[in-house]
Amino acid sequence: MVKTAEVVIIGGGISGCAIAYNLAKKGVKDVVVIEKGYLASGATGSCGAGIRQQWGTEMNCKIAKMSCEFFETANEELQYDGDIEFKQGGYLLLASTDKEHEQFKKNVELQNSLGIHSRMLNLDEAKKIVPHLNTEGLVSTAFYEKDGHLNPFHATEAYGKAAERLGAKIYKYTEVTGIEVENGRVKKVKTDKGDIETKVVVNAAGGHSQVIAEMAGVDIPVYSERHQILVTEPLEPLLEPMLMSFSLNIYCQQVPHGGFIMGRGDDTEPRDLRVTSSWQFLDEMIKTATRVLPPLKKARLLRQWAGLYNMTPDRQPIYGKVDEVEGFYLAVGFSGHGFMFGPATGLLMAEYILGEEPTINIDMLGLKRFESGDLILEPSVV
Amino acid sequence: MRIEDHPVLEFKRGKKISFTYNGEKVEGYEGETIAAALHAAGVQVLSYSDRHRPRGFYCAIGNCSSCFMEVNGESNVKVCIEPLQEGMDVKTQKGKGEIV
Repeated sequence: MVKTAEVVIIGGGISGCAIAYNLAKKGVKDVVVIEKGYLASGATGSCGAGIRQQWGTEMNCKIAKMSCEFFETANEELQYDGDIEFKQGGYLLLASTDKEHEQFKKNVELQNSLGIHSRMLNLDEAKKIVPHLNTEGLVSTAFYEKDGHLNPFHATEAYGKAAERLGAKIYKYTEVTGIEVENGRVKKVKTDKGDIETKVVVNAAGGHSQVIAEMAGVDIPVYSERHQILVTEPLEPLLEPMLMSFSLNIYCQQVPHGGFIMGRGDDTEPRDLRVTSSWQFLDEMIKTATRVLPPLKKARLLRQWAGLYNMTPDRQPIYGKVDEVEGFYLAVGFSGHGFMFGPATGLLMAEYILGEEPTINIDMLGLKRFESGDLILEPSVV
Repeated sequence: MRIEDHPVLEFKRGKKISFTYNGEKVEGYEGETIAAALHAAGVQVLSYSDRHRPRGFYCAIGNCSSCFMEVNGESNVKVCIEPLQEGMDVKTQKGKGEIV
């Protein structure tokens, strides 16, 4: 293992690998990524693999759009020898209350103003896109055809390999055990395989970001919530877009392999970093899924698993520096959408660290916003 | 070959019954599985994957999904553990199976 590095990134998920790639591409030598398990072994690899631009805050919309546009050409950009399996089948968001319908209209207006050409569809129009949709109890829908699905393992691998080709080093199965801070500056990252001296540390540790921050003596306002998810056996194509409802509490998409991946949120889920599974989840998930898409009654469940949503108070990520520890940067708190934001996280954080002119100004997503309490809450999270 | 000893399943051979395999009449015994009856009748290809490769018997205990066939119009039936019944309509499955 190297003894010194210009930048040490903690976390080998999509965020960490994308930041490493962008820094290396901009000419930074000695970029190191430390990953406790294998690439995408944490939140990235357990996520629902959805790519969505239909958000309710300006920043989330901008970041999502930028990321989605990158994914469209990522196989070539990253010179990947595999396929990241980007399938743009759209996202069909289901409103089941008038309040939700009004929120969607507001969101669509915001999205349209930012170049995301989503639109409201009535239930008949929605049925044309998803013929088996049960529209009973629904009010309206919102749709954007450029949203879709992407394979988290391939996408992270693509970024990781590209970063390594540009000289970055990725240490897998290596656990960070401490961060040494001296005179208010980052000095060293300690791992179970040796220590690395550095002046720049990036916390991209997903569900464990608060644990890493604590090692540097920094308290960040995030917590990790377990989110469970399941996949059915592979079936012939039946559902083109991602189906999602905030009020019914479901997201469900048939991935290119044929399996239906679905999950739900539950704020009574444990917040102690466990990623175990429960039968209660299955019970609730299956009730909602078979209500929304009745043919699923005949599908067999293949397996279930869980991952961590790293939640912030406003459900928007935290990007940027930490005032009290110079050289310590955050790319954390993605609140369940860190995977789909990966490309933007990579580019924007690299620009930020190098002090370059930002493609999108991320100042309003800094840690400081929680001190002033001036928060813009993202309304659209499952 | 007819499967008589199975490490997990127990076969109590009953009376001779008939069913159809891709529309043709085949005979088997009550108490055996669909796959056992087909194997005895010389049928070894049970389905084709979506890459068109033939699939047959593999785990034979209901785990591996290699023996999926269409039975009475329903896809993805594990014929290695599904008891044979008089008049069943059994077809070679192609691809991943339909649920509508």
